[in-house]
Amino acid sequence: MTDSVAISGRQDVLPVVSNGGFRREIRRSLPGYLFLLPWLTGFFVLTLGPTLASLYLSFTDYDLLSPPRWAGLKNFEYAFTQDMRLRSAVSVTFNYVLWSVPLKLAVALGLAMVLDRSVRGVGFYRAIFYLPSLLGASVAISVLWRQIFGAEGLVNKLLYLTTGLQGPSWVSHPDYALWTLIALAVWQFGSPMIIFLAGLRQIPQDLYEAASMDGASGWRQFWKITLPLLAPVIFFNLVFQTIEAFKAFTQAFIISGGEGWPIDSTLFYSLYLYIEAFANFRMGYASALAWLLLIIIAAFTAIAFATSKYWVYYEDESR
Amino acid sequence: MSSGDLPATINSGKNEFLRHIVLGAAALAMIYPLLWMFLSSFKPDELIFSDPTSLPTSFGLDNYYKGWTALRESFTTFYLNSFIVSVLAVIGNLLACSLTAFAFARLEFWGRKFWFAMMMGTLMLPYHVTLVPQYVLFLKFGWVNSFLPLIVPKFLAVDAFFIFLMVQFFRGIPREIDEAAIMDGCGPWRIYWKIMLPLSTPVLATAAIFSFIWTYDDFLGPLIYLNDIKTYTVPLALRAFVDSSGGESLYGALFAMSALSLVPVFIVFLAFQRLIIRGVALGALKR
Repeated sequence: MTDSVAISGRQDVLPVVSNGGFRREIRRSLPGYLFLLPWLTGFFVLTLGPTLASLYLSFTDYDLLSPPRWAGLKNFEYAFTQDMRLRSAVSVTFNYVLWSVPLKLAVALGLAMVLDRSVRGVGFYRAIFYLPSLLGASVAISVLWRQIFGAEGLVNKLLYLTTGLQGPSWVSHPDYALWTLIALAVWQFGSPMIIFLAGLRQIPQDLYEAASMDGASGWRQFWKITLPLLAPVIFFNLVFQTIEAFKAFTQAFIISGGEGWPIDSTLFYSLYLYIEAFANFRMGYASALAWLLLIIIAAFTAIAFATSKYWVYYEDESR
Repeated sequence: MSSGDLPATINSGKNEFLRHIVLGAAALAMIYPLLWMFLSSFKPDELIFSDPTSLPTSFGLDNYYKGWTALRESFTTFYLNSFIVSVLAVIGNLLACSLTAFAFARLEFWGRKFWFAMMMGTLMLPYHVTLVPQYVLFLKFGWVNSFLPLIVPKFLAVDAFFIFLMVQFFRGIPREIDEAAIMDGCGPWRIYWKIMLPLSTPVLATAAIFSFIWTYDDFLGPLIYLNDIKTYTVPLALRAFVDSSGGESLYGALFAMSALSLVPVFIVFLAFQRLIIRGVALGALKR
């Protein structure tokens, strides 16, 4: 009681920089700024400065060797009207996001619900399901994936042993290569699953008991109890996983040989940006690409938050 | 898929059994690729392809010896590099992020809310935006081909996620404790070092674990900043290995080195499983 008063009281302390109190204000603020010094340095030198620099560079031609030359809107014009490779990169990335995120979340939610109910061995299964999320971002797993879905890979061997069919080289077929990356993303469903599991644990059990008493089927309980009460967690997972999917890089780099092959079918946006910046040394154009990505991600997040009030209900709003 | 065994009747024996079948099958499917890579790393190259599902006949380390020295530098160098970078990154993150978090959670100063909002803002910023200018900056400093671009940012608390995690934790520590310390004449530094940090081992451990794993796995950073093979970290070396082996002649050795590269993360996982899983659940639910 007194505790909470003290805390809220503290937060209301406003910086009063008025006549005479200035020196006292400095003395009061000094320790805070000393503690903040490393972060402030990083913020200005490594975050804010580069962000502004990148905005400036996006309006220039810059190849690292000669100083940036002002180019006006040329980079953006090129991006929107002429750059066919960017068009593939955007379409590949959107495809990846639109397929991998819902699939991953569906698997995560499904298994979280099965896990939530089982009594024995939850810890064991949870650990095994989570492991790929932890290891999945590494180069080693991408190397493994390239082999598994290769012409002579594990998938084709198993296919041959079970059905006698000879599969293609999945990673080097333009129609399937992206799907191997989607499969890799879905394989890493463990971390959203853990978050779902934590959310499921907070749904009061008596709701289900009351519903069964009233004769509601399992399916109906899922739609009427589980999904609405889990909406905040679904929302969080959706936003977070989508942003991560937009930023994906390592998998695409390793599996596509660093160039998005076959014929740009795995040219993720981040990979294209990397190629433009560090293989073609078009630093100005790469900066423009970075800002376009920032806008895409911000737009997506804004849409998610704007629509959330229609489908996400927080418990304390009690409805 | 799992709708059939949704709980209308809770935990009847049959349901429990069905559930274990679903879970067991899923777990096996999940773990199979990893297990297969590990087992294949002990088999001669021809067998990996001709007979992929068989178990290795012996656990000889031929592939491991071959892989360890397959590049111009041996993996001893790469592991050393990786560990230097990861350990320093962990230290940097813990120090800088906890200092920052302490200021935000416990100290009063002019503009605190403003800086806190700025810090939260950087959480949303995709790394792409700062990538090019940071590279130009570090190039001008002459830091390319050294570990500095990978380490120095951690000492400047650039990973806002950890700051946020620590602020949340620090706010949960009762204020009476530091108020008592202030009565006893402790300054902010001593409160931070002698009281807050010792009480915060769970969050510090979580931050240490994730920053170790993320730095150890990081690929883009080393790819951009490290061009000399002497400075390669393990992920870069693996990528060089893929490029150099090209065909399938060295697959056994490549698998051996890939499997080995997962071992440090795997050990961390085994040792701190509970902490990691709680970290994943908390980091999200508390937003």
